[in-house]
Formats: sequence, C-alpha cells, structure tokens
Amino acid sequence: MRKTALVTGAASGLGALAAQRLAAAGRDVVAVDVDEDGLARTALRSPNMHTRSCDVADAAAVEAVVAESGAVHRVVHAAAVSPLAPALEQPLADVERALRIDYLGTVNVVRATLPGMLGRGAGELILFSSLAAFTPVAGSSAYGAAKAAVNAYAETLANEHRGGGVRFRVVCPRQVDTPAYRAAAAADPGGTAAGMKPLPPRAVLDAVDRSLAGDGLYVFPDAITRAVVLAKRYAPGLLSRVLPAN
Amino acid sequence: MTTETHTPAHLIQGERVAMPVRIRDAAVASAMFPVPAAPAQALIAYSGLEVAEPVPGRAICSLAFIRYADGDLGPYHEFAVAFLVQPPGTSPRPGPRGLKGAGAFIHWLPVNQEFTLEAGRTIWGFPKELADIPMDLAGRTRRCAVRFGGRTAIEIAVRPGVPVPAGAGAMPDVTAYSCLDGTTRRTPWTLAASGVRMRPGGARVRLGDHPVADELREIGLDRARALSTATVDHLTMSFADAVPVAGRAEEDRS
Repeated sequence: MRKTALVTGAASGLGALAAQRLAAAGRDVVAVDVDEDGLARTALRSPNMHTRSCDVADAAAVEAVVAESGAVHRVVHAAAVSPLAPALEQPLADVERALRIDYLGTVNVVRATLPGMLGRGAGELILFSSLAAFTPVAGSSAYGAAKAAVNAYAETLANEHRGGGVRFRVVCPRQVDTPAYRAAAAADPGGTAAGMKPLPPRAVLDAVDRSLAGDGLYVFPDAITRAVVLAKRYAPGLLSRVLPAN
Repeated sequence: MTTETHTPAHLIQGERVAMPVRIRDAAVASAMFPVPAAPAQALIAYSGLEVAEPVPGRAICSLAFIRYADGDLGPYHEFAVAFLVQPPGTSPRPGPRGLKGAGAFIHWLPVNQEFTLEAGRTIWGFPKELADIPMDLAGRTRRCAVRFGGRTAIEIAVRPGVPVPAGAGAMPDVTAYSCLDGTTRRTPWTLAASGVRMRPGGARVRLGDHPVADELREIGLDRARALSTATVDHLTMSFADAVPVAGRAEEDRS
C-alpha cells in the first residue's frame, strides 16, 4: 500500500515542492491550500496527488480533509502567512490572522493527524517554522511570535510523546526564495533580507530529508541559519547590535 | 523512411502536452563506466547505431537516476541506462575525437509514474517501463534502486564529488537517441545545471534479478570502475519532438 503524505501550503513555495517531491517518490499526496489555482499547478499530471481546498485555520475543515485521507504517514505543514509591519502600526486583524493561521493552523493540523500516527506507532510530523522564532527582527513581531508559539508547541509535543514512534521536526530556515518572500522583499527592498541571497526551497527540503535519517527536533537548513541561532544563544547582545533596527 | 513530422502537441491520457516539453526542476546523480565496445555494440545493435569509442575497444555506458519534481510530465522518478553513440551515418572516429557530436542512446528508462510512461513511449519512443524507484538525493551519498514487485534489478550509490564552478553548468545541447518498436529516433535535448559536483570514480553498482541487469552483467558493469560520477542539485531541461533517423540497416539497403 502506498503511504500517504499530507502537505499544507501546497499551492506554492516550500509546500508545492514538498508535495511534488513526495508525489515523485510514489506517495499518495493530499495537497492542501486555499489557493486552488496554485494547487492545480502543483498537481499538474500527478495522478497520485489529491488537491483539497482548505483553510488550516478552520479546525473542522482540516478534520474533514484528514478524515477522508485515510492513514496519514507524513505531514509537511508549510501553510503560513507572514504579514510584516512595525508592531505598533500593524493592524490588530493582521496580528490575529498570523496567530490564527500560523499557530492555530499548526494546532489544527497536529490535532487532526497526530492521534492516528500515535495509534499506529509511526509517523513523521514536519512543521515549518522560521528563524524569526529565534531572532525576531524589525517588522516581524506577529510572524515571529506565531512561529515562536509553533516552536513551543512542538517542543511540548515532542516531550509528551517521546517514544511514541512519531518523529517531530521543526524546520527553522532563514529567508527562503518563495513567492511570499519575493513579495515581501519587493514591498520592502531595504528589509530584513536586504543583500542576502535567500535559500532555494530545495536546499531546505534536502535538509529536512537528511534530518529524518537522524535525531533532533530542530532543522536549521544552512550554515548562516545555524550561525545566527548560535549567536542568539551565546552572544545575544552582539547579535542584536548586528541586526537592522528597522 | 518516414517523413519528418512536427506536431505542436501530443494527446497523452486525455491531456494536451505542448512541445517542447519543459522540466523546470530536476535533480540527478550519474556515473559513466568504460565497458568493452564489442558486447556493448552487440547490445544496442537493434538501434542501427554505433557506440562511440573514446578509447579504441572501449565504449561508455552511463547510468543515471533523476527526480523530476516540477515539469510538464508531472513529478516522477526515473532511472536511465545509456550508451554514448556516434551520430548516425558518420564513420567511426576512434579516440577522444569520437566524442565530438556523440549522442546518448537510451537503452532502458524505467519510471515510476503512468503519465510519463505513456508520454515517453508515445512522444519520443523512450524505452520506459513501470518500476518502483526509491532514491535518496539529499544525503552525501546519493542512492537509487530499481525494483519490480519487490525484486531488485539494480542498485547504485554515487559518492559526493567536488563542486564544479557555476558557469560550467551551461551544458552543450545533447541529442538523445532511442529505439522502440523498430524505429530509431533522435530527440534534441537542452540542459542547464546548477549545484554540480563531480569526481573520478565514486560509484558502486549492484546488479540484481532482471533481464537488463543480465545484459549489464554481460558487458562487465558489475566489475567496472566508474570513470567519473556527477551529481546535479538543480537541472532544467527541454525535449523537442523526436525525429526518426535512418539507422545503418536502412542506409545499407539504399
């Protein structure tokens, strides 16, 4: 029997490439997004990919998608929004939206899929977070807070279900060359990523694949990401002086 | 001889596939092996093509495994067995000069998805068949196996090489040759690569239980040491329509 993977955010960027790689490998892929045109592009000529229009912030909708998917062996949860604005200027609705989609969306996907994995004693739960969870920079208050919540949630899950056969990964890349990143960079050319080449999505997914061969919760996909995380831990004062203030 | 036909599109499983077929993201690992020319020539004699002999008496057999993530034929895995061949109708040019203009004759091309199976056989006459093709293209050593119903036909591991500078990724256009149902065809094929690593040697092959594995055993591939291996993190490709070519048999008759 073919194994099933559930991929959220599958209409573009990391989620799209993850869905295509899993489909290439012969998995049954349930590809989820709110962008139906993007989903159709991802699933082009891929008979083992099944697209589902679903908002991960809607717990009942996520439950329904998972209920009709059968046993889910791997989750790649990439759906997220990243509204960037100075904290005091950001509309409250945008803050709520980031928390609802990025954090509660993760909770919804986990609550719909993890019990089945625990019941079978096997599974891979891969949650996309961000380096912004460790080093929130100017403009990323809502996004960084939501992703930090994802990290805290995932650490708790990994503790609560240690030895349960499910492997948890929290992927925390720096800037990744996705449509969302390109839109943000175009809107704010001098922003957080100015002058730095974003990571190609394939490099992030390769790091995830390699991580599944070993242990450890967090996946930091490249040397720059790892250097920033180490600096945050051991030289936070230095790091805060290096990061742009606005 | 069949006249050349140029169709703007093909109908595959009810879908219109426009030409040329474009691959927007693929990843590859490959190895080239020197093999004795005489049995290699005998193996591909059905095509009417002649193996290239960069060293007299030696032909080049290439094994490659490819993950197509984003492309016009959908996502799939593929394994290729190919031989370097002289352009049809040219006289043998022994030595390295013989590689000039050499093409790649695709002898075997298992894939793991139905759409590309039908597209490959219909559009280009590629010798595709369905198999399970697990592969690991993320680890330092890249691995692939081709299996039929749990029986392994071939396994290959390619060790990491050294990075090839960017710019070297602009590859020359290549001609792919194929022969299906008695018709030999050539397919213009363009590639651009980034994230390329190469090294001498670096491949390990295990042949299993399959007629093609037996063929490769006959040409000594289970004992051959790779000339070189290469891995490519990101490859874009374009395949134009195939054109039937006159093989040696037809020319001899004319």
